[in-house]
Amino acid sequence: MIYLEFKAIETVDDAIELLQMAIALEFSTLPPYLYALYSIRPGTNAEAASRIKSVAMQEMIHMCLACNIVNALGTNPVLTAPTYPGPLPGGIGTDLTVHLLPLSKDAMAQAMAIEEPEDGAIHFPHEESLLAAAAQEFMTIGQFYHHLDGFLATLPASRWSRGRNQLDDRQFLAGKVFAVNGFTDAHRAIDGIVSEGEGTRDSPLDFGGDVAHYYRFAEVFYDQVLTKADNSKGYAWKDKLGVDWNGVYPAIADPGSHDFSKDPPTARAAQDRCDAAFTRLVQELQRAVAGEGGRLGNAVRAMFDLRMAAKQALTVSLAVPTQVAGPSFRYRPSLVGAVQ
Amino acid sequence: MSVLETPRLFFRGRITWDPIVTNNRPQQYDENEGKTVFDSDDGVVAFRKDAIAAVTGPGNWNPHGTHRSTFYETFTVGVDTGGGLSTSDAIVKSPVSFTGMLVDLEPYGAFSSQLFFDDMSFGIQGGCRVFAPRVTRMTGRYINFARNTTYKYVAGVASVVWQTSFPKTSGLRIDPHDSSLLQKFAEQLEHDDVLGLTVRWNTYRTLYFDSLNPANNTALAQQLHDKLVGGGFQPNPARSELVGVLGLWRKGEPATEPGDRALLTRQPGHMASAHVRVSKHQLTLDLANSVPETGVDLAKLNLGDLNAVAVAPDGATVVARLGSLKYADYCREKYEASAGIVTIEVDWGEAEKAKTADIQIRQKDDTVLLAEAALRAVPTAPNIYLDEGETTTLSVLVLDRGKPTGSGVQVAMANPDTSSGASTTSLTNAEGIATFSLSGTKGQVESFVFAAGQGAAVPQGINPQTTTYVYVRTLPADADIAGLEPSWTTVYGKVLRNWHAMAPCMDNWLDLGNPDQVKSFAAMLHELTAKANFEAFRFMPVTRDMTTGERALLYAFLDGTGALEPVVEAPPQVSLQRLSRAMRGGAR
Repeated sequence: MIYLEFKAIETVDDAIELLQMAIALEFSTLPPYLYALYSIRPGTNAEAASRIKSVAMQEMIHMCLACNIVNALGTNPVLTAPTYPGPLPGGIGTDLTVHLLPLSKDAMAQAMAIEEPEDGAIHFPHEESLLAAAAQEFMTIGQFYHHLDGFLATLPASRWSRGRNQLDDRQFLAGKVFAVNGFTDAHRAIDGIVSEGEGTRDSPLDFGGDVAHYYRFAEVFYDQVLTKADNSKGYAWKDKLGVDWNGVYPAIADPGSHDFSKDPPTARAAQDRCDAAFTRLVQELQRAVAGEGGRLGNAVRAMFDLRMAAKQALTVSLAVPTQVAGPSFRYRPSLVGAVQ
Repeated sequence: MSVLETPRLFFRGRITWDPIVTNNRPQQYDENEGKTVFDSDDGVVAFRKDAIAAVTGPGNWNPHGTHRSTFYETFTVGVDTGGGLSTSDAIVKSPVSFTGMLVDLEPYGAFSSQLFFDDMSFGIQGGCRVFAPRVTRMTGRYINFARNTTYKYVAGVASVVWQTSFPKTSGLRIDPHDSSLLQKFAEQLEHDDVLGLTVRWNTYRTLYFDSLNPANNTALAQQLHDKLVGGGFQPNPARSELVGVLGLWRKGEPATEPGDRALLTRQPGHMASAHVRVSKHQLTLDLANSVPETGVDLAKLNLGDLNAVAVAPDGATVVARLGSLKYADYCREKYEASAGIVTIEVDWGEAEKAKTADIQIRQKDDTVLLAEAALRAVPTAPNIYLDEGETTTLSVLVLDRGKPTGSGVQVAMANPDTSSGASTTSLTNAEGIATFSLSGTKGQVESFVFAAGQGAAVPQGINPQTTTYVYVRTLPADADIAGLEPSWTTVYGKVLRNWHAMAPCMDNWLDLGNPDQVKSFAAMLHELTAKANFEAFRFMPVTRDMTTGERALLYAFLDGTGALEPVVEAPPQVSLQRLSRAMRGGAR
């Protein structure tokens, strides 16, 4: 089970420390989700891809909002690239090691573990039973955010900085990213983060009326659609979603742990292109949240480059010709500018 | 008929607009040839540099546009199943999803906007939902340039009616669950007379640079310019408010623009054209596009009490009094709750008289704001693409007070841009449809206007508030390009370079200047550029201007094994022509 380290928050610095952890946590969810997404072969698994992509987008938004809160408290956020396999930042009391996995039931089970709601998942009946639910018990980050929210509510208005290094939705993610200029904004951001991740206490839907992250991954895992039903819980697992577990590139798990020295030069070059794009992405994002708002566009450009590099890497065979590797999401500053 | 009868679903939200505008001016784009205009010795780098420089003038507010138009913060807000507005139906507060590609058929003009998209949904999968795959692209009509005159920046003053329809035979899916409205939709779709569902929405108060005050836009343009110079991907979407309605699509109703009884504006600054339906006991008026806002706060212009009357052929003598609207019926709150659709009770006897008499909307002092045009000739395909040498048949549906006429009604069609202004005529068949033959003789963009009825005057030009019209774009054959050696130099120089310069959105995932990438994704490029996928959201080029010859050369390259020699472009040079244009500030 995942527990985050709950520290008493007595000062703004304590809160900032926890917010930094939240940023790292949101960041660390992106590579495993994107790895699964990129591994889907073109023309297959449209519904699964749509769900994974939508969650990844919201995690990016959550990270931006958490950065906005830190900035509103007068401090520049710091982005630290995660490593895989590895634990979730701030996670204690759990043996969950997060891996980069191609689309698979394991990948979805891992994602469900990361996103499991505060009060546990609501167990809906399977009206057309396809498989038994994996009996997994994972914890949540919901309490962590509520804890933060409680402290932030106590801060006087004067403690908040207006317009400090804020990312907004002027260019990207319309209606999703907004400036944090005080507690009201921070509370709205935290509410959205928790709601989108977990749903509400009695419903799998978030405040926006869409299915919360845990259940979106569960739909892929079960290959069933969570559907309104006339039962005590209001929903049931019903129609097939249409997952094709074979519509996936034969990507190895955790390419960051793989020794590419024995692989063809084309595979090594493909990995270098991925790493260079990812590194540039992190660097540009760091500049964007530290006051150079225009660099967000450069980060998006790097994200496009990463996607393109990943698409190419996933078509290049390794030494074992039936295997390919997706992006390892390694932060390697030495590659930036050296790899085209 | 249509969204003006019940059941219907109301929604409200916002939409982004992110088109490129580098094809809006003849100095940068030749819409007849479908080619980007390069100065003689400079190329893509110089073109892009120039496009970015133009941001600080009035010439180009979005050189990194993606063309994407996406709903956000858009939800269902109410239903009407026949008993008036209700907000308690299970579908209410569900997200409404739409993403389309905004493309003007005529790049230079403002009257032919359309949205290419794949599907639209009201609600989510697994819940109460309408899932509507696209059959016909979304079309913009009845552009109202007097909607918000306090925001004078590009299209900030305007509002637009968007519409398409979803046939029940083409994948339209309704999951009613506990929604009474959706249950009624599902029941209605069982009837032979119901073809499917029509969605109509209105976009208004368009903001640029996300600024409520256009006076700030000069400074914000400078900020965007600086970002663009700093590299990366820097889109600058505009955004609008929207209200919309989903309702039944019946036989005899046009799919892509309103076909109800047309009330045309007499006072454009006060009220734009609208559509109306009169039943035995009700008058339902679609004011979604009609009443101006007085400012960016979205307050509606108070026109006082408005009277709906039916008049004698003299246009003045009142023969029936249908009812009155108060400001509370068309104020902002009411507008946003029911997408500008207003229903008032009507005496049965008065409604009967209005069946055959023109309806007017008048102010208390009898100033006529809207007056009915009984006969309307509506093209069933409002925007048409042809290849040179191709011929097609255009069907024009003639409506008489919102219903198809019978046979024998004369329809005149004319191109208002030709010097002669000569028109061709055709007679309607039993379904009220007249047909015209259209031929793509050369690369060009043409428009045609219509007039229905014996001796009816053909409009001299397009007034989108009053005229029905069709746009036709013919792409040149480019046989000479098709015959070129399919080397990278020719395929880039004659084909890909056009979009690499004009629309960087197209290389978000693919660098059109990189032969290795282009070749690596040959199969995908084939699919994305195939004519069969022309209507698809992801069709390339987004601007829908690849000619047959260009496609042939591209495919010869993608399918061949030619060497991938690098492209060497001349370094950017100062262009006096472009410098001169920049100093003039360019033209929108």
